[in-house]
Amino acid sequence: MEKTYPFYDLCIPYQKDEKALREIIKEAISLGYKTIAIEQVFDHSRRDATKRVPDIFPPPVTLKSLEDEFKNQLKILQRLTILYVDVSVAHAMTNSLNLKKYDLVAGQPKTDAALTHCCTTFAGDLVTFDTDGGVKLLVNRKAYQIGVKRGLFFEIKYGPAIRDSNVRKDMIKLAHNYCVRGKTKSIIFSSGATNPFELRGPYDVANLAYIFGLSEDQGKNAVNKACRQLFLRAQGRRIGKTFMFVRSTGPVVFSDSSDSDDADSEKAADDGSDENEEMGNFVDTNSPEPPSKKKKKLV
Amino acid sequence: MVRIKNRYVVVRIVPEKPTNILKIDDAVLAKSVLRNVKKYYGDYGLGTVEHGFRVKYCNERTKIAIMRCLHRSHRTLTSTLPLITMIGDVRAKFHTLYVGATIIHCNKFIINHQQRFLDEMVGQIASAKERKDFIKRVMEFDLEQ
Repeated sequence: MEKTYPFYDLCIPYQKDEKALREIIKEAISLGYKTIAIEQVFDHSRRDATKRVPDIFPPPVTLKSLEDEFKNQLKILQRLTILYVDVSVAHAMTNSLNLKKYDLVAGQPKTDAALTHCCTTFAGDLVTFDTDGGVKLLVNRKAYQIGVKRGLFFEIKYGPAIRDSNVRKDMIKLAHNYCVRGKTKSIIFSSGATNPFELRGPYDVANLAYIFGLSEDQGKNAVNKACRQLFLRAQGRRIGKTFMFVRSTGPVVFSDSSDSDDADSEKAADDGSDENEEMGNFVDTNSPEPPSKKKKKLV
Repeated sequence: MVRIKNRYVVVRIVPEKPTNILKIDDAVLAKSVLRNVKKYYGDYGLGTVEHGFRVKYCNERTKIAIMRCLHRSHRTLTSTLPLITMIGDVRAKFHTLYVGATIIHCNKFIINHQQRFLDEMVGQIASAKERKDFIKRVMEFDLEQ
């Protein structure tokens, strides 16, 4: 699996202004984050129902320049947050190809029915909550337990909580609700910061766990281990049940041609593509692979 | 003999607008932290934190400070620090670097940290004399011991 390094901040809202985004990323690096996710928001309830488009989800924004700039310091993931009110989103999600391009998919339910759906059948990885409108939805025990069993993660954003006193109260209420309903499992902290000043260091965030009713260990896991698990789960959703996958990284270079038989078969397998592939024992899984990822057995 | 357990919190003060020298002394720092503890935890929180709380060290150039508090109340203190946005009359935030049980270990950590800070900063200073001064000012922490 792809390597990611602690610490994680899995919610930095996307901004059109690349300069502002760069400032935030620089600050995140100086604070010690190694993996961040840029968040895009898609409001399913507000879309135009009359128009029939093949893929309602927008493709991820290109952050090529940023990715190249911070290549060795930081890993940038793409995340989509889907706001929705009813379960019709599930159908759209199964048919969407754009959705597979995102590293993480989060759901933000707006009604009680949507929240229950989100915990029980939603095909994403993360459940998040609206911070601006106040927390009116609180997850009930059964839905929460099912969500935890399915491997969903629940997000608490600390950025807005630092900004505003009312949001802070709401977030504390939300966090303590998890504590009451099911001993606070599968929680991650993320920033949701729109400017560099709202970011806090990973240890500060772990310390914030105290006011959110988590223990010291859980607090540390919320910025480290749980995020890694979330990332692995998201990868699993994208490429099927695997524990190893092969991906092309660059142009083809055949360094060893002593075994001509092998080389021939390799060339045949490559099918004229210009890309070399990292080799690995591919252990298959009876699940479909996306066409871009080729599998090959190590000889 | 009963040993009084303390916790020493090493923080870096990060002002919103980057400045070279920070005009914050120990008293201002202590006052603003305690005021925030009172804001978030009320009278009870202030009572538990105030006993044994002291700012031991504050360097205005490296912007590093050490705060001491009792072991009983250190979680109250450390969870307040991220919520602070104003220190004195400057908009600034805290970045917790280290929480230690003895000040010696905090010193060791800070010396390492400042060495890295120096490596970054020295390159930006042109004249040799200034550089010497700068190094002296930053590392004056060691002389205190």
